[in-house]
Order: sequence, then C-alpha cells, then structure tokens
Amino acid sequence: MHDLIQKLIERLPLDFRILHRQFLLRVIDLEALSIQADVTGFLGQFAGVLIMLSIVHSVVMYVGLESIQDPDARYAFCLHMQHYLIATMILVTGLFTVISWDATFPDRRDVMVLSPLPVAPRTILFAKLSASASVLGLSILTLNCMSGLVVPFLLGMLHNSSWGFYQCLVAYWFTIVAASAFLYCSVLTIQGFTALLLPRRIFLRLSALLQLAAFGLFLGVYYLQPSLTTPAALATPQNQWLLACSPSYWFFALFNQLNGTLPSQLFWLASRAWLGLALALCGAAVSLLLCYMRTMKKTVEEPDLVPGAGSFHFVPSFGSSLHAAIALFCIRSLTRSRQHRVAFAFYLALVFAIALSWLRSELANAAPSALPSDFLMSSFMMMTFAVFGLRSVFALPISLTANWVLRTTQLRPSQVYIAATRGALLLFAVVPAWLLAGVLSLSFRPASHVADHLLILALLGWILSELCLIGFYKVPFTCSYLPGKSNIQLVFWAFFIVCLPLAVWLSSAEHDALNQPFKFAGFAIVFFGIAFGLFDYNRFHAKSAVLYFEEIPEEVITTLGLNA
Amino acid sequence: MLELRHVSKRFSGIAAVDDVSFSARPGEVTGYLGPNGSGKSTTMKMITGLIEMSAGQILFEGKLIQDDPMVYKRRLGYVPEEPYLYTHLSGAEYLTMVAQLRNLPAKQATPRIDGMLRLFSLHDDRHASISGYSKGMRQKVLLIAALMHNPKLILLDEPFSGLDVASSLVLRSLIQELAARGKVVLFSSHELDTVERICSRVVILHHGKLVADDSIEHLRSLMELPTLEKIFSQLAVEQDTESMARQIADLIHA
Repeated sequence: MHDLIQKLIERLPLDFRILHRQFLLRVIDLEALSIQADVTGFLGQFAGVLIMLSIVHSVVMYVGLESIQDPDARYAFCLHMQHYLIATMILVTGLFTVISWDATFPDRRDVMVLSPLPVAPRTILFAKLSASASVLGLSILTLNCMSGLVVPFLLGMLHNSSWGFYQCLVAYWFTIVAASAFLYCSVLTIQGFTALLLPRRIFLRLSALLQLAAFGLFLGVYYLQPSLTTPAALATPQNQWLLACSPSYWFFALFNQLNGTLPSQLFWLASRAWLGLALALCGAAVSLLLCYMRTMKKTVEEPDLVPGAGSFHFVPSFGSSLHAAIALFCIRSLTRSRQHRVAFAFYLALVFAIALSWLRSELANAAPSALPSDFLMSSFMMMTFAVFGLRSVFALPISLTANWVLRTTQLRPSQVYIAATRGALLLFAVVPAWLLAGVLSLSFRPASHVADHLLILALLGWILSELCLIGFYKVPFTCSYLPGKSNIQLVFWAFFIVCLPLAVWLSSAEHDALNQPFKFAGFAIVFFGIAFGLFDYNRFHAKSAVLYFEEIPEEVITTLGLNA
Repeated sequence: MLELRHVSKRFSGIAAVDDVSFSARPGEVTGYLGPNGSGKSTTMKMITGLIEMSAGQILFEGKLIQDDPMVYKRRLGYVPEEPYLYTHLSGAEYLTMVAQLRNLPAKQATPRIDGMLRLFSLHDDRHASISGYSKGMRQKVLLIAALMHNPKLILLDEPFSGLDVASSLVLRSLIQELAARGKVVLFSSHELDTVERICSRVVILHHGKLVADDSIEHLRSLMELPTLEKIFSQLAVEQDTESMARQIADLIHA
C-alpha cells in the first residue's frame, strides 16, 4: 500500500511536489518559526489534541446515552450531540481558516520567488490548494477519528436495522466534510473577491481586519447561538429565522436528511445546506482562478511603498521613555504581525469563549443574582489564559536579525527593561482581563462581593505576571521560540490536571470567604503576600540579570553538510 | 581615540580576526578595508560589543569599553553591514523607538528625527512601513538612527550600500564633516575610490590579519603604486582577477 502511494506520488509533476511540500509547511503561518523548529512535530501535537477531543466526544455520547432511559430524552440528547459535533467541526474549520488566512492565495514572496522560474500559475494554485486541503483534511480526520465511528454506531442502533450503522456512517462523514468545505470555501470566496475588487494596498489592510472579524464571528456564533435541537424548538415558528441563518443547523438538517431521520417540514433547511455548499464551492473556484490570473500580476505591479495612515498618529503616554518604547513595540507587534496576532487571538479566544458564555447566561436572566462560584472560577481562567497567552506570544520573535539595535542602545540596567516587560504584561493582559471580568460581573449582587472578587482577581493577575517573569530576562518579541519543540500534549494535560482543579479550589475557597470578612481579609493578605514575594524575588534577580537576545551567534562554524 | 590592542576572535579555534592592533583618531576618517571574509564586520561587531573578543583589548578615550558599557554605548553610533530593521514599524516609529531607547528627551529627539528625515528625503515616507522601503531607504534610516544622538564614535560598515548617487555624495561629505568636528570615524567599505577620497588613513585586513595601517599618501610612496586599488590588490587580492573571470565565463559556456 505504501509503495503504491509512493508510486502515485512520484507520478505527480516534480514542481508540484516540491511546491506542495513547501506550502504544506506554510499553511499555518510559520514565517517566524526558526528553521530548526520541528514543524511536523508541531502539527502532530495539534493533531493529538484533536484526537483527544474526539475521544472525549465519543465517551460523552456513549455515557450520555447509557445514562438516559427515557426514549424522548435519548432522542433529544442525540439531536443535541449531532448539532454539537457539526458546530464544533465548523468552529475548528473556522479557526483553521483564521490561522491559514491568505495561505491559499499567492503572496508577494511567492510571486517574487516563483515568477522568474518556469512554474505555471496553475501549478502554484493546485499546490497551495492541495496543501491547505491536506491540513484541513487532517483536522477533519483527527477531530472525528473516534466520534466518526462511535456516533454512527450509537445512532445506527436507534435505527433498528443492520444498514442503520452504514447509512449513519456515510451521512456523518459526508455532512462533516461538507460543513467543513462549506465554511472553508465561503471564506476563500470572500477573500478572493475582496482581493479582486479592492486595490491591493487596501485589500492588505482590510484582510487583517477581516481575519479578526472572522475569528470573532466564528467564536461568537459557536458560543452564543441557542441550542434548538429539541423537536419542539425546531418546530417553533419564532425559531425559524434563526435556523435559516445558521449554517450549523443547515448541516444538522442535511445529516438527518441523509440519515433518513429529517421531518419533512425541515427539508427546506437541508436544501439550504446543499445550496450553500454549491455556492461556496463555485464561488471559491471562480475567485481562486481569477485571483491567480489577475492578482499575481497586481502583486508584481503594485509599488512596494505603501503610504502611511495619514497625519493622525496618536501615541499614548506610557511613563518613562523605555517603558513607552517597549509598550509601543508590543502594541505594534501584536497588531501588525499576523503571526503574533493570530497566536494571541487563540488565547483570547479562550478568554472570550468564557466571557461569551457568561454574557449569554446573563442576557437570559434579567434579574441580578448572587455571585456564583462558577463565575469566580471563570474569571480566574480568563485571567490565566490572558496572562499566559501574552507571555507565550512575547516569546515569539518578530525579527531576530534586527535585535542588534536593542543591544547597541542598552543604556540602562537590565532590571529597568524587565520592569518595562512587567508593565507591558500588566497593561495588555491583566488590565483587559480584569476589566472584562468587571463588566461581566455588573449583573451580580451584592456589589461588595463583586468588588472583593475584583480585588482578588487583580492580585491573581499580578501573581501570574510575576510567575511569567521568573527567568524571563528578555525584551518581548526578541527571543526565538520553537513551537515544534514545545510539548502541547503536556501543556494540555497539565492544564486539566493542575490549572483547572486549582481554579476550582480557589473559587470555592473565595466563595466561602466572601461571606466572612475576616476570612476574606486573610485570603486577600495571602494573595498579596504571594504577589509581593514573587515581585520581590524577580526584582532581586533582575538586578544581576543580563538581558538575553537569541540572535547572538553560537561560537561554532556551521557546515552545510554537502559532502554527505 | 579608539584603540584596538591585539584583538582576536576565534570561532571553534579558527581565527576570524587575528591579533589586530590599530587606532582611529578624532578628526580623521579611518578606512577599514579587506576582502570578503577578512574579518572587517567581525571587528566592527567587537567594537560595538555585539560579539565578545577571544583576546585583546578595545579602548575608547583610554578606557576599556567593557568597563562601563552603558557610558560607551551612549557615545557610539553604528551602521551595520546589513540593513536589518524591525520592518513592521514605520521609519518614524523606528527612529522614535531608538530615541526612546537612547533616553533622548522627546523635545530634543523629535526635531532631530524630523530634520534628518527631511534632509535624507525620507520625510514623505516616514509613516510608511519599513517593509516597503528600498535598500537605500533602509540605509538612510540606519544612518539617522546612528547619528541622532550626536555620538563621538561612529562606526560605518558599508554605509554606501544601496544609496543612490546623490545620497552617496551627501554621505561622503557628511562623513568628512563629522570627522572635521572631532568625531572618531571608522569606515569600512569595498568602494576604494570613495575610501581614497575621504579617508586619511587606511587599515587593511587579510585573512583576519592586519597587513597595512598607514596614511594613504605614505602607502602610495612606500609601495610605489599610484592608487589605493593597486595597493589593495597587491596586499589583499591573491587571485589573478582577469584569469578568474575567463574561467567563470568558460564554465558557463561549457
């Protein structure tokens, strides 16, 4: 089998194979990765996380069905799980489109490098498409590797026929692939036509905004759209508008249509899925073809120099000149570098997912309620994701070769630089997460409890920031991080084993303390003590620290290894 | 005065710079010459403190540079060989950041940056991203960043790289003007004509070793050669250049 695949691959044109391999490594924006990063390992670790999710989905489905005896409740649970799995696949595809934003279209580097070579634009197009499709296919396969068998098996048993499993299996996989293709092609269509219709320099600016908007949209829809998967909710006239607008319900209907379980009054919903899929596929095909025929020329013809944003250049004050330099460097790197933006957006996604879940429940409850323990835990998690997220993005380099300027202009002791990095961490992670928690807690009473919790949350933010700064004697974005070298699996499980139980315990302890002033005072003093202790520890070590820049060449002569 | 005493740099035991000693005085432009890989940029980086010496001493105004690196860096202006910049920033943002890192007060830095951007014809493009700048424009940004704080020691590693004719002429005069105002200028270039015009002294490096350290006039009379190019060819070029060119052309046509 392996030999057969190998022979088939070898039959493909050589230029296509080379480009496919190149683009495969660039599907996920890996521009800033070091050449030493283990890219395949990095992708493999993400695949591992998706496989774990698939196993969790399967277990939930199995345990859920086993524990429910009432046939109607079992049916409602099945419908809910079907929709959940489809919506999750759409979300994962959406996040993939955000990470691989513009990866299917030729960029300036492709044009400049490949145009002088005898490579046809269609080869570039097919290589890019096949690279994106490979990674997307891998995501689909890994996210459904277990649930793609267990769910059809369990649903097929409800059919009471031997063909039930096979029908359900085909329906499941077709729906999942179709839902994924629909979203991916829709995004390609929008990107393609935007690139065609707008001048390139405006497109480039708009593209960054579109990327963030898409990110917010996918996440917002996933967390905010109500669950309408009971037969009664599906039939309610008020819900028809929402069903008509939500692609996850279209494909939910499509699955049931293919599975032979769709009520006839919902056939129109499945028709939307077919129509949407056809339009997205055609739109993507047309826009991609036009882009490769027109945009490649445009890219070459467009002047290199893009004028600035006009005369308005507001620069807020950030204290001393060094604090200002580092804070502005952080803002500009986070907002202008696609890689940093997307990497940070992933952590922000977790923050906003929690925030949106609470917003949804608050919108459902009009009356103010007591501060629940769950909210305390959620706000702790939001703070944790924001701080650790920004810290990990700080470790992504923006341009290692340009770091020389920071080294030749280091006129102040390292501790001042480390203090400026602390300032940036507090300003761009702790303060926004704290404000978000503050806004979300407006509907809770009494206000004194909310104020107490916000105090604890601020102290937690400080503690986390200090934890992040231990041994971090660097200016943000100036050191090299090798994503392939980090162990995502370990981080994933460490989070579930350490962070989550800790957050549960802390929220429970704080919830108890909120009603007892002395206990709360003790709680706050302990938090402050830990925060100050860590601050003092970092300040002490910063005095003797030497700022570390990873562009310092190793004292070895590197051979090219061409003799092997 | 900048003084290098028996400076060496070894990478895994291989000497990139081998026992180099010379000095650059205020008021004169010292040319630092050598073929590719001779150790010029390595020496420049050692003088800036970007890489450490394996042996030797570097002194500026009689003090070892590592004794108080912050005071030394305050007096140093450096234009590196390659125009590596943070390209996600605009020219104005980059220069403002450098001014902030150098702790220049905004009232002092802003008019200097603005004025130099105008003089270097970059003012109209100051808010454009550096990623779109040509090599010459990037070189101008580097020059402004190196000079904005009025340094006493100016290290220029291939400063003419990518500059157009007009800008090159301005820079040539600027280097002479800065030296005339008492700055120590160490200037590395492959453009021997330019070096001959603006440098009073030259230091020539070959395979990491110093092969000449003298005034151009003295070298001319000593070696009985009419131009710096001839002197350089004799001291630092081993190959028969015409024969090599023929061999390359033959290889292409083979």
